[in-house]
Amino acid sequence: MKEWLTFTRKFSDLKEGRRELFIKDLSEGPRKYDTKHVVATISPNRENLKNPDVLWVRSESGIKLNNPWYIQIEEELPPYVPGRPWQDVFSVLEKGEAR
Amino acid sequence: MPFKSHRDFFDLLEKEGELVKVKKEVSWDMEVGAIGRKVYESGGPCLLFEKIKDYPEGFRISNGTTGTWSRVALALGLPKNASIKEIYRHYESGLERRIPPVVIPREKAPCKENILLGDEVDLYKFPAPMIHEGDGGRYIGTWDLVVCKEPETGWTNWGMYRFMVHTKDYLTGWPQTTSQLAFIYNRSYLPYNRPMPVAVVLGADPLSHLLATAPIRPFEDEADYAGGLNGEPIELVQCETSDLLVPAHAEIVIEGEVLPDKIAPDGPFGEYPGYRSGTMASGIAVKVKAITYRHNPILTMIALGTPPDDSSIAASLTAAVAMKKGLMRHGVPVVDVYVPPEGVTHLIVVGVKRGGEEVARKVLDYFTLRRVMTNKHIVVDEDVDVFNMAEVLHAFATRCHPGKGIFLEHYEGRANSLTPFYSPEERSRLKGVSVVFDSTWPPAWPEEIVPIKASFKTIYSPEVQEKVEKNWESYGINLGR
Repeated sequence: MKEWLTFTRKFSDLKEGRRELFIKDLSEGPRKYDTKHVVATISPNRENLKNPDVLWVRSESGIKLNNPWYIQIEEELPPYVPGRPWQDVFSVLEKGEAR
Repeated sequence: MPFKSHRDFFDLLEKEGELVKVKKEVSWDMEVGAIGRKVYESGGPCLLFEKIKDYPEGFRISNGTTGTWSRVALALGLPKNASIKEIYRHYESGLERRIPPVVIPREKAPCKENILLGDEVDLYKFPAPMIHEGDGGRYIGTWDLVVCKEPETGWTNWGMYRFMVHTKDYLTGWPQTTSQLAFIYNRSYLPYNRPMPVAVVLGADPLSHLLATAPIRPFEDEADYAGGLNGEPIELVQCETSDLLVPAHAEIVIEGEVLPDKIAPDGPFGEYPGYRSGTMASGIAVKVKAITYRHNPILTMIALGTPPDDSSIAASLTAAVAMKKGLMRHGVPVVDVYVPPEGVTHLIVVGVKRGGEEVARKVLDYFTLRRVMTNKHIVVDEDVDVFNMAEVLHAFATRCHPGKGIFLEHYEGRANSLTPFYSPEERSRLKGVSVVFDSTWPPAWPEEIVPIKASFKTIYSPEVQEKVEKNWESYGINLGR
């Protein structure tokens, strides 16, 4: 089972379901932490997803959520979202403007 | 003694016992960061990690190039035991002269020994460290020098900004919106929706990096000042993919473009105030177009965090001298400014010839007029040595009137969003407050009522002091001097 990492401002911001997010690949090696921008279904319950990967979650100050979530990647997108420099990436993701 | 390169400086550090070469294999994934942090926190040497897990031999990481006053002194050509005051004075006088850089042919530029262009670009070929556990990614740009240019005037700016590896050919970064990079970008690129060429330079000569931290005024080139300080011109070479000029002896140069219409997350990152706070996901995206590097490149890291480290030491020097000049221009009768590294440019000490409310308010005015990177300012009389924090604290405790000597200024749109005590809402609006602690005697007090400091040097007449000094050895008291 592959492991990924994502960041959220507050843990309560993370909502179960199909969404667009940036994730980091935790596979060991020189490319560890490479970023992917994906559309995926995420859930705190493994049983809700078919063959999911592990998704670790950290907050805006880097604190790690004790228990992982699970992720099923559906589509890989270019590694950016449309926006102007210094615009908040989370607000763009929330509006789904990248899709 | 001028240094052409990072390596020249490392040769001297080794001779002076200021460099440790770590031969054991270490991981770029938190291990080098943790070692670097531990060494900073005990005032230890500069480190050169020579064997990095997952990477071929020759790809190295350094930490703490000028992370102590001793190493700053050596970079400036001073003895390593020079006092902070001597270092300040030397740097201040060095800035009086400017020597423009020279451009050398690319064949003679060591940073062109290896060139990756287009599809060959792969940031993962370099051991960018995951510095702190919980950071948003691998920060390749910490002790860097970021070059950008204002196209209308040709002003070339050097700054020091964090940059994170996002993918093999994208960086994300977070130069503050009040930075000079942002000033140039917002003035000359964003309105035309065009990308801005940038170069992230790692491992240039030590004074060029110091100058990259300096708040040099807009439209003045840091390279001229670096040359002046170095005593000879800095050698530059043109980038492969833009007309930017970069230090030719640098270890690694990452060439790219800040994109006007695309963004990606940056951070969080354990930053210079000594905390990892909520500065995340509102930076810039850089498409990397080329990477050039020396054989056996050294990736210059600083395991940023609680002071002291390269950042807090460099800013202590470069910010203080700029502030002194600025305060003078603002009409403050300033004698000296000290930025204690422990205060991470949040706490500033200003020594003045004459104090009082009017001067204190003028000091506050200067520090809050434009972008505000500081928030606590202690103003002391000339008799207090600003470089001696014991004296400063004594003056603050005994001369600052809590009811009459504390002045505040509130502002919005220009605060330092890395200041840890601001709430997320304040940070997002760059809303802040600064304070000045007037720790001077009121100028209206007649001399005969001003309390006399009860120290050896101030409460005894020269005759009594001389007598005691003259007879000192005969008292049989050893002060261990």
